[in-house]
Amino acid sequence: MKRRRALQSILSLPAAAALPLPGQTQSAGPAEEHPKTPTTAPDVVAGAVARFFAPEEFAALRKLAELIAPAGPNSPGAIEAGAPEFLDFLLGSSPPDRATLYREGLQRLNAEARRRYQKPFADTTPVEAGPIVAPLEEAWTYDGPADRFARFLQAAKDDILGATFNSREYAEAMSRRSRRAGGLGTYWYPIE
Amino acid sequence: MKTEHDVLIIGSGASGGMVAHELTAKGIKCLMLDAGPAVDFERHRTLKPVYELPYRGFGRPGRFPHITQASEFNANIWADEAQNPYTYPENNPYYWVRVRLVGGKTLMWGRASWRLSDYEFRCKDHDGFGDNWPIRYRDLAPYYDRVEPMFRVAGRKEGLAQLPDGIFLEDNSRDSASVERFIASARRMGIPTTKQRRATGELASSVNLLLPAAVASGKLTIVSNAVVREITRDRNTGLVNGAYFIDRRSRQEYHVKARVVVLGASCLESTRILLNSGLANSSGVLGHYLFDQMYVKNIVSCVVPEAKGGRAPRGLMGGGGYLVRFRNLATREKRFLRGYSYDFGGGGTPSYRYFPLYGEALQRKMAEVSGAGFTMTAMGEVLPRFENHVRINKDVKDAWGIPVLHIQQKYTDNEFEMARDARHTAEELCRGAGFEVIASHDRMVPPGESIHELGTCRMGDNPKTSVLNRFNQSHDIRNLFVVDGSAFVSGGCQNPTLTILALAMRASEYMAEQMRTEAI
Repeated sequence: MKRRRALQSILSLPAAAALPLPGQTQSAGPAEEHPKTPTTAPDVVAGAVARFFAPEEFAALRKLAELIAPAGPNSPGAIEAGAPEFLDFLLGSSPPDRATLYREGLQRLNAEARRRYQKPFADTTPVEAGPIVAPLEEAWTYDGPADRFARFLQAAKDDILGATFNSREYAEAMSRRSRRAGGLGTYWYPIE
Repeated sequence: MKTEHDVLIIGSGASGGMVAHELTAKGIKCLMLDAGPAVDFERHRTLKPVYELPYRGFGRPGRFPHITQASEFNANIWADEAQNPYTYPENNPYYWVRVRLVGGKTLMWGRASWRLSDYEFRCKDHDGFGDNWPIRYRDLAPYYDRVEPMFRVAGRKEGLAQLPDGIFLEDNSRDSASVERFIASARRMGIPTTKQRRATGELASSVNLLLPAAVASGKLTIVSNAVVREITRDRNTGLVNGAYFIDRRSRQEYHVKARVVVLGASCLESTRILLNSGLANSSGVLGHYLFDQMYVKNIVSCVVPEAKGGRAPRGLMGGGGYLVRFRNLATREKRFLRGYSYDFGGGGTPSYRYFPLYGEALQRKMAEVSGAGFTMTAMGEVLPRFENHVRINKDVKDAWGIPVLHIQQKYTDNEFEMARDARHTAEELCRGAGFEVIASHDRMVPPGESIHELGTCRMGDNPKTSVLNRFNQSHDIRNLFVVDGSAFVSGGCQNPTLTILALAMRASEYMAEQMRTEAI
């Protein structure tokens, strides 16, 4: 505490309160300070709860996330990064057209898997899943594919990769590999 | 009784800030109103990792449907469309990007600082389309000469008529080998290139380069959070005499008096205020001739083969530059008028979107092309057309009860043809440099998205076809000035801020002299 501020706070108190009573020992004045209380982000201590997609839709999303962004030897994949749970949250608060694109897309993944293999998409092997997600191997165009299912897959690819790269787990893995602090940016608080 | 100020300046960005800087230096007492709060750089920003943001960098869904520049990091900078709505024709959206803070868009601009030339000021003389400006390059050159040192513009002199040189912090830095190869390819095609010309410094804004001197003079009072509703007029003299404004937070309404009123609220906001005030429109062209600059972002994305797999030798990658307008100068294109330029640069990693892969195959590809990317973005001139316009939509009001703008701008075949030409030329340039073209396109961003909106309150010598005279002064009301991008007659493909600053400085000199002689 600055000397001037300490003096000011002592002077602003009644004399009796400012002086220690006989027999009391005087401690350094933490009560006079303005400490910054450390807090922790929720995803450090807790797993996100998926609430938006139906269980089978969410299972399909997890499977798709695993296919698109698998874990590497030194980096987490989408599952480790909690990307499906994050996207469940994000889509749950997204405009209806985006949320509908996802719901329909995930339902189509399950329908295709049932038609081909008589099981939900989440239970397919990577080899079995390959033909279902084949639109991901179509060449890039600025406007994206016209087909709605292909549009969903491209959107999911973008979102799953973004959610993975922007995760705490990915940043920690990157900072272990190099000195670069990944994903750091200038954040602007609300300005009133 | 409240003080009557010499000059009321509405807006605190490039143009409003420059007027305050110049007038207060001459001892003129100014009052500045800005619709937003003032930034405290210590308190309002901090470094954060993206994973600490509530939406992991994606931003709150649906918050900014028309601001592609908004990220979750900077979301609190941009004007919120819910409080500041506007309308546009169905199926023809306009992307209006606004910053409502003291300092305006100079807090966020890209800092590119190019002069216009007589290819723009005398555009009609050159190709017969549209109208000439009422001024020539030589009229504005002395003001560019003064603005560039104020904004510490770095660049390299080239002696090109279409991109006049300025007073630069000389940038003679060495180019990387990939940039040298690209420049050589351009040279073989007869296309000039140069270094970027940018304002330098940690911050290059009205708030650090213009307003501090004005405040220090003791002649400037700034009122933040002051949303101007209407400029008022003296019924007897016909002159403007002040403005009504509303406190952004409390909604309390005020009126302020001034001898001269200067609008520098940004291109479309200034025109909106005039239209809502029913002023300065005897010509009928107020709100018309809206244009901007067409952008084709990442028109071509390439990989430099020698940099693949992390094998780039030292000095191969990095850096960039600017490819100067080359079309329709000495020769005439058949398919379009005017011209375009490019930003180019190398050393990044191409987006994963370009690769039709997923899983481990995508991871291997991304490792292969890491740091090997080279991209170009095209910026082209948009022709000013009467039918592209703004008007007041009385059915929709903003959070302060002020009627909003209806904005209607469409690109035409001229812009589409220009974009197509820019794509083919970009591919040829990159292939000529030995780069692998992995993606190209010619899709322009929607009108407005370049944040280079211009026109709607244009200057001219004829009061029947223009709103302002050659000194940014209303033809109709001699003590009313409009000093932002709305005064432009044409825009070229050069970023407009440097010209806005120079025009505002020139208008300020004229204004001060008019006030001294009591002409206003």
